[in-house]
Amino acid sequence: MQSEKIQKILFILPTCLFLLVISIFPFLYSVYLSLFQAKLTKMHKKFFIGWENYQVLLFEDDTFPTAIKNTFMIAFSSITIEIILGFIMAKIFFEIRHIKFSNALRTVTIMPIMLTPLCVGLVFLYILNPTLGIFSYILDTVFGIEPFAYLGEPIPAKISIIVINSWQWTPFMMILLLAGLMTVPNEQYEAAKIDGANWFHVMTKIEIPSILSFVLLGVVLRLIECIRLFDIIYITTKGGPGIATEVMAFFTYRTEFRSFQIGTGSASAVIILIISLIVTTIAVTLLRRVERNEGLN
Amino acid sequence: MKASIRKKAILLIIATFITLIFLAPNLWMLFGSFKSQNAMFALPPVWIPDFSYIKNFTIMLSESYTYLLNSIIVTICSTIVSLIFSLPTAFGLTFFKFKGRFFLADWILSTRMLPPVAAAVPLFILFKYLNLLDSLFALVIVYTAFNIPFAVWVSASFFKKIPYDLIEASRIEGASWFHIFLKIAIPLSKGGIATVAIFVFIFSWNELLIALFFTVSESRTFPIFISAQVSQAQIIWGNVAAATVIQSIPPILLTIFLQKNIVSGLTLGAVKN
Repeated sequence: MQSEKIQKILFILPTCLFLLVISIFPFLYSVYLSLFQAKLTKMHKKFFIGWENYQVLLFEDDTFPTAIKNTFMIAFSSITIEIILGFIMAKIFFEIRHIKFSNALRTVTIMPIMLTPLCVGLVFLYILNPTLGIFSYILDTVFGIEPFAYLGEPIPAKISIIVINSWQWTPFMMILLLAGLMTVPNEQYEAAKIDGANWFHVMTKIEIPSILSFVLLGVVLRLIECIRLFDIIYITTKGGPGIATEVMAFFTYRTEFRSFQIGTGSASAVIILIISLIVTTIAVTLLRRVERNEGLN
Repeated sequence: MKASIRKKAILLIIATFITLIFLAPNLWMLFGSFKSQNAMFALPPVWIPDFSYIKNFTIMLSESYTYLLNSIIVTICSTIVSLIFSLPTAFGLTFFKFKGRFFLADWILSTRMLPPVAAAVPLFILFKYLNLLDSLFALVIVYTAFNIPFAVWVSASFFKKIPYDLIEASRIEGASWFHIFLKIAIPLSKGGIATVAIFVFIFSWNELLIALFFTVSESRTFPIFISAQVSQAQIIWGNVAAATVIQSIPPILLTIFLQKNIVSGLTLGAVKN
């Protein structure tokens, strides 16, 4: 029995230790650093200042509050678009699921999910280029609209980020909701047909209730991704123009690694961490529930 | 019957159109990678480039092969190390009935949800202290740590499909847990493990943020090389397009292999297909 116990420990303990050192320790150390004034280049000269970093970050400067606002605005807009378009696409692909060719189409459609976010940013940077971009050309020749710097004006830049984000992730919502639609028992559709229910009734009374937990799961998983949104911002707008597309993760990177202000940077990291923890708690509960729910297997 | 066929045909055409929306931007970048600087700026645009023009690729590959090699090494190593840590843990969490295993599983999962940017500076300081900054080793360690929670959860969801009677029977015959793990669990979950490996591979391959913090010169990965191309005053778009195409090849090829298990992977094993 003794060896049995040792075996079991050997299966699980190494991973836990590894995560403690490389994952948990850094997050705690961030909390510690956030209470100091410190420069990455002069680490030995740090001194304790308590809550001042948070004070400055949240109340004395406009940048970080804007970054929080932008992050959630981008998250909310992208996720809403993704759910609506994702649902429509899921419905279409659901109807034609028996046609062989639709499988090939679906595979191509979901490619953006797995693409390097950096590359997705670059593809759109290329397309949206004011002088040589294909978007400018189409806008000019088809609609007669003069090209302008789409990523250089506050509102168009925000819209562009939302479009890029949704372009990459709408396919995710689509296949998730498609998996959800597959769980609707066929009899329910038949029964609705016999009762003479129209498509609106089928959608609101049968489909939406049965895919609701899938939608929730998708929202939470996407929210976690949006909170750490970085790569696309880094390659396209760098938070600009001004701070129009500044988001939390990019702000933290800039503060820590461009200005080397790791005290302030850690404070903003901790705030992201707290927001993430709230979302994470919801996410973990939800994942457990979806996983245990027999109806989804 | 006829009406339903017509309806399906129309839907298929719409679906094709939707697919184009998600394909066209990438296709345009692919076409761009075969264009010379003149063709890039031509008006009206050069719709179909001369595919025998491969100078962009040869330039990019000759300038970047060390970074490309770095990316390949880091990605493969962190995938393997992640699996070595995660598979036994996933097995344990699935089959050992000990107190607190749900809590432990949730704790592992929650580390996956934490934003990497919040761990970057402490890890930077840690590796600086260990004199491992700007090394591939450091990247492998960090990527592995960030991938373990995902790998544990998704592998566990595949281990759960193994009939428990099978495990029980071997236990009664006196087989050790190691034996059951290696001879029963692993062979029965080959497909699932491949799925996990592909996801972890793509995550590491796509990573940018940690590499930005950690790599200075020697250990720069391919994404870092690409982003440096864009920060130059004059962007040579043909080169950028070629580099983007090279970077995109593994994710695109591997997605085709994922097919059935992609939903399961993207939802951390919560949704089965």
